This record gives sequence, C-alpha cells and structure tokens, in this order.
Amino acid sequence: MKFIIQREQLMESVQNVMKAISSRTTIPILTGMKLEAGEQGVKLTGSDSDISIESFIPAEEDGIVYVEQIEPGSIVLQAKYFPDIVRKLPQNTVEIETDDHRNVTIRSGSAEFHLNGQDAEEYPQLPQLHAEDSFELPIDLLKNLIRQTVFAVSTSETRPILTGVNVKIEDGILQFTATDSHRLASRKLPLENQETEISFNHVVIPGKSLTELNKILADSEQTIEISVTDNQILFRTKNLYFLSRLLDGNYPETSRLIPDESKTVVTIDAKELLQSIDRASLLARENRNNVVRLITKGGEQIEINGNSPEVGNVVEEVAAESIEGEELKISFSAKYMMDALKAVGSDQVKVEFTGAMRPFLIRAIDNDQVLQLILPVRTY
Amino acid sequence: MSSRWYPKNGRVIFHVDMNSFYASVEMAFDPTLKGKPLAIAGNPEERKGIVVTSSYEARKHGVKTTMPLWEAKRHCPDLIVMRPNFDRYRTASKEMFKILADVTEIIQPVSIDEGYMDITACEHLGSPLEIADRIQQRISDELDLPCSIGIAPNKFLAKMASDMKKPMGITVLRKRDLSKKLWPLPIEEMYGVGDKTAAKLRNYNIETIGDLANYDVFKLKQLLGINGERLRNRANGQDNRPVDPEAVHEFKSIGTSTTLSQDTTDDMEIRQVLRKLANKVAARMSGKKVLARNVQLMIRYHDWKNITRSRQMNDYIHTSDDLFHIASRLFDEHWNQEPVRLLGITAGDLAEQKEVTQQLDIFSYEQYAEKEKLYKTIDELTERYGKNPFQDLTAASDRSHKVSTSFQKDFLDDYKK
Repeated sequence: MKFIIQREQLMESVQNVMKAISSRTTIPILTGMKLEAGEQGVKLTGSDSDISIESFIPAEEDGIVYVEQIEPGSIVLQAKYFPDIVRKLPQNTVEIETDDHRNVTIRSGSAEFHLNGQDAEEYPQLPQLHAEDSFELPIDLLKNLIRQTVFAVSTSETRPILTGVNVKIEDGILQFTATDSHRLASRKLPLENQETEISFNHVVIPGKSLTELNKILADSEQTIEISVTDNQILFRTKNLYFLSRLLDGNYPETSRLIPDESKTVVTIDAKELLQSIDRASLLARENRNNVVRLITKGGEQIEINGNSPEVGNVVEEVAAESIEGEELKISFSAKYMMDALKAVGSDQVKVEFTGAMRPFLIRAIDNDQVLQLILPVRTY
Repeated sequence: MSSRWYPKNGRVIFHVDMNSFYASVEMAFDPTLKGKPLAIAGNPEERKGIVVTSSYEARKHGVKTTMPLWEAKRHCPDLIVMRPNFDRYRTASKEMFKILADVTEIIQPVSIDEGYMDITACEHLGSPLEIADRIQQRISDELDLPCSIGIAPNKFLAKMASDMKKPMGITVLRKRDLSKKLWPLPIEEMYGVGDKTAAKLRNYNIETIGDLANYDVFKLKQLLGINGERLRNRANGQDNRPVDPEAVHEFKSIGTSTTLSQDTTDDMEIRQVLRKLANKVAARMSGKKVLARNVQLMIRYHDWKNITRSRQMNDYIHTSDDLFHIASRLFDEHWNQEPVRLLGITAGDLAEQKEVTQQLDIFSYEQYAEKEKLYKTIDELTERYGKNPFQDLTAASDRSHKVSTSFQKDFLDDYKK
C-alpha cells in the first residue's frame, strides 16, 4: 500500500475516526485505526464496537486532488501514536507506505517515521446494515435536534435506558426525547419530502454516540441519511459512515408525563432570565443541587434568589413580559434551568408552572417544537 | 515563668476522663453508696439488662461494662443495681465542662464524661501539671466526682495517658516516654483498636503497641487499609487532629439497637422490632433536624456473631417508613436464618434539614405533589408566626417523650448552654 495525501484532509479524518477509538476495549486490534487505500481514495476506520466510524478521503473531489500515487492495500496502525504524528508532520503532504512485513513508513518533508502495523485482515468487518427504515435530514437540523436534547440524558447507569435519546417517527413527525428523570428535553420536527412513509418508536441511541456525531458533523445544509435496524443506527453522508449500537430496553412513555394544564404562566426574556439565574447560582451551593428560588411578585416582576448560609445570598428582580395565574414560589436546579433556556434557543420564552412540587415547562413563545421540562427541588 | 513546660512548636493537650461516671454521680448524690459495689444498668428486671457502668468496688469483683446483669450478680452477689438517672448525669456533666471552660475555650467534648482541651496558650495559668491538678481538685471539691487527666502533645497520647492511672490520676505522656510507657501495653489497650482489629493484628504477631509502632507500614496498609498507617502513626506518638470545639455539632450517625427478649427466628417479631427501632431513629433524627443518606443494619446472632450491612442512597431520607423498609430489605438480603439476639439500625451520612434539598423525580414526584397544600400552609404560617412552628413542636415533643436513646451522644448538644 502506498499513497501521498494532503495532511489537512488526513488530519480531519483521523480526528473524526478517533472519536470511536478507545484504549480500553476488549478486542485489542480495536485500539488501532484501519487505513485502506483504493483507486477511489483512502478510507479510515475506528471502532469501539459500540460506535464505528468510517471516514473517506476521495482521491479527487470537485477538481481538487487529495490523494495521489495510490497503490491499493490496507494496514492497521496504533491509534495511540498516529494522530500526533500526523499533526506534527512538517509539510502539507504526507506519504504513507507499507512493505510486505507490515512496516509502515510515514514521510513528510525530511521527517520519516517507521511504525509497526498490524494485519488489516484481523480487523473486524463492520456489520453490513440492511436497513428497512431510512430517512434523510439536513445536517444542521440534525445537529440542532442533538444539541437541544442530548444534554438531558442520564449520566448514571441505574436506569441504562435513560442514558440514551429516544428517537421516533410518528405521523411524519420526528421526535428526539431525553430525560434523566429530573428534567426532560424534547424536540419535534415535521419530516418533509420523504419518499417513504416510515414510523418507529423503539429507537434509543446512546447519548455518547450522538454527542460524538455532533462533534464530527460540520454545520452544513447537505443531507445525512439515517437508517435504522433493530439494534443499530447508521448515519451516512458522502464521506462519512457513522454506526452506533442502540440501547436495549423499553423507553418510558414520556408524553403522559408532560402536564397539559398550568396554573402560573410567566412570559419572559430568555437571556435576562438566564443571566439572572446564572448570577443567583453563584451563591447556590454546588453540592446541594445548586438550587435557586423563583418567586412571582406583583407588577410583572419575578424574584430570583440564591442562598448559601455560610457565604451569603443574592436577590434579583427581573421584569417579566407577563405573569398570569396564581402566585408561586418554587426552587429548582440552576443548572437544569440554564441548560433548558439555552436549548430552547428563543428570545422570548414561556414558562408554565403547575405548582411548587410539579414539573414545569419551558417553551419558545412562538413554537412548540422544543419543549423543556424540569422537576423542581423540594426544600425542607 | 513556666515556659519550660510549654514546647515552642507543639501543643499541650489534656484528656479529661470522668471515672465510672454514672456510678460516681450516684455516689455523690447519695454518699451512703460510697465504697459499695454499685452498678448502673438498663432494665434491671429484664434478661437483657446489661451493666452500663459500675463502681471500682464492683469492678474489683469482676463486674464489667456491658456484662449481662445476671452474670454481674454471680460475680458480685452484693451488687447494688440502679437504673440510670440521665438528668443527674446531664447536669453533672454540664457542670464539669463549665469547670474545664474556665481554663480554656478550646474544649472538645467527646461524650458525656470525657473531653479534650488544648492548653497550649495557657502558660499564664501555670504549668500543665498545676492546671491539671487544679481541674481535678475543683471537680472533686465542687462536684464530688473523681476524674483522670492525661497530659500529652496530642489527643491520642492524652487519651492513652488518662487511662494509665485511675481513679484520680494525672499522667504525663511525653514522646520520649513512648518506648517505656506506651509500647509495652497489649495491642487491645490501644485507643482505636477494637476486638476485630486486634485479632487481625495478633495474627501477624503484633502483640503490643510497640510491635505495631515498628511494623512495616506497607504490610499494615495491606492488612488494614489506610487505618493501618494511621494506627501505626498513633503508636509512634503522631496525631495532628486538632481539639475542635465545633466537632460536637457534627454527629456522624444516629443509631439504636435492642436485645430481643429471647433469641428468635420469627419473622413477624423481627419486623416489629425493626419497626420500633426505625421509629426511634426517625424520632431522634427529627429532633436533631437531620436527614440521612445511609442506613446500616446490625444483626447479632445467638452465638454473638455480629454482622453489619449498610445501604448508601442517592437521596436523603428521614421517615420511619423509609428507614424501616431499607432495614427490612437489608435484613432479607443478609439474614442467614439463624436465631437473632440483637438488632440495630443506624442512620448515617447525615445532613442538616435546612441544608438538604430534594431534587424531585419525574417518575415519583406525585407523592410529594399530593402534599403540596400542606407544605404551602406550613410556609404561610411560618411567614405569619415566624420560623416553622411545626418543626419546633415536634422537636419539643421529642424532648418530653425522652425518645433519645443514645443518651451519651445526644447529650453533646447542650453543653455550653
């Protein structure tokens, strides 16, 4: 195998593929990265058996040549050293060559590395996906769906299913839902221009997979193809193949958990509320749920306060656009509220409360697609 | 004037230990008891009555603390047995600590009848020996109670020293005396070494405190973990723990146990006992206004084999029901079907109510939401009448019912008042 490749393209692909490679894997060869050179270009593969990523660098694209002098072949390289080597090479082009004894030579300018490779035949074949259910989505929309939900997955393994994001399509509407049982984030998106009518609701993608996918995908209006099978999901663009295992088990039915009536509705500028809660949280104790308190006041004002007995307290009044319904005093995690306000991504938000011990909702005033739900904190 | 008694870079620590405190208080109260074998015991008429404290006269006959009453009476047929009068002990203890507080404010009570003092800054009051002598004399003159005082450069050595001469002893333990005074003692006598640790150490031919002091640190760590190193340091006279007057307020756990009226395998009876224990612990927790995140169950079997098993939780709990359920589950998981002699429940990893908040859970918030009106009412009344009238009420009623069983620990709350 031999090829000369643009270092920048190689670096980007290496970084993407590294997202799937773990030094702690039960299959030793998976600590390596597979390189495959063919007439069409170079393919890099990484996998920790939960996530598998293939990144393709075409020999030529839009008239720009990325890979030259290709002699087909394949090799597995130690992922521990390869990325740093590529990053620090002196020239814009890199030559990679293997001999019959799996010795790999990496040249760039006058620098020359010799690495021991492993037999690519020993690298497991990625499962071939025979997907029945496929749909397409613009990449920037997918990234939004991920950003608005994935932060709410559980980080604890007590209920493993909650470490994932539930994805479903019903009646032509795609919905992402994540909850750690203390807060819930959900985003709906009507699917347009789909050729086939598909629907499913059992898919739960590990939060980690989506976080990594979001890092790899660059904001773009190009589409990504998503295919679902019983236990895997595949995201595919022209040069990227991202395969993730799905979580086993039944995702709890969350729609019934969302209150459909409210007693107090506060409409308020999202940024002002966010900043005020951020300030109050400075004096809300880190280790005790980071709790702040919200109190409705007359004259369309709300009070946000944070209190830490040994340190001090902070009180701030924030003007709301409107306050309707009953008076309210409620305590909640400042972090959850800030996460939710950021995820809603709207200038004006509507916060709907049904009581100090009941979940409350945060939505944009002008659309229902993003919904954030937070459980309050009970103070004794 | 007496600066040669006070080190430049070190501390002078006292450990004041009242001698057979409960018995001594009774004798001060009723001097006709003096010189007689006296034992204070819980429930003298029941089988499970055990000796809480005994006078030196009783000890001479072989009566020991925690000995069952029937056995104590066999050792000493003339034994006078009295029920504890906690109010008397509480008052006596308060007076005793007041005397200590006349010397320095740096006092750390560790139980009703003992405490540490840091007199490093008390040079103007005389030499450590003079101060100790004065304290002992005042406690004897004013309260008619005997005590022993240990004087040393740190808490561990002071504690060991106060144990060396009883009653009415004053013992100085300097670092240079270690090999002569401390190291020859059998390992069981070291403070911090319980029966189980001692047995382990003896397996390794560590028979005396000196053996421990000179044992390989690495091996000790393997044997006892971090505590191994700590004990070895102590044996070598090293202990940096400060005398902390605030330590009184950090209760580490609240627990209670009871010996069954007869050994049993009866599930119903065991549940009833666990329920009672849970009630007691919950009552004491609410009296102290704390919540717990750890519940420990202790089972003693008919053959005196003890096991303790605990569960750590994510959320704080405080109700008797929660305590009972967790203790019950622990019992189900760990009971080996043998007859049970004693059961105990301890709530640990405590936090003060006002500092604790509970993040509600989407799958279970309903149970709290249902009580929302009640909480709201409490809130409103609090605003109208001041700090939560309900909390104070429960705390007050707890006092009057004397639910507090671990008297020694509960006591610590009200010295200084």
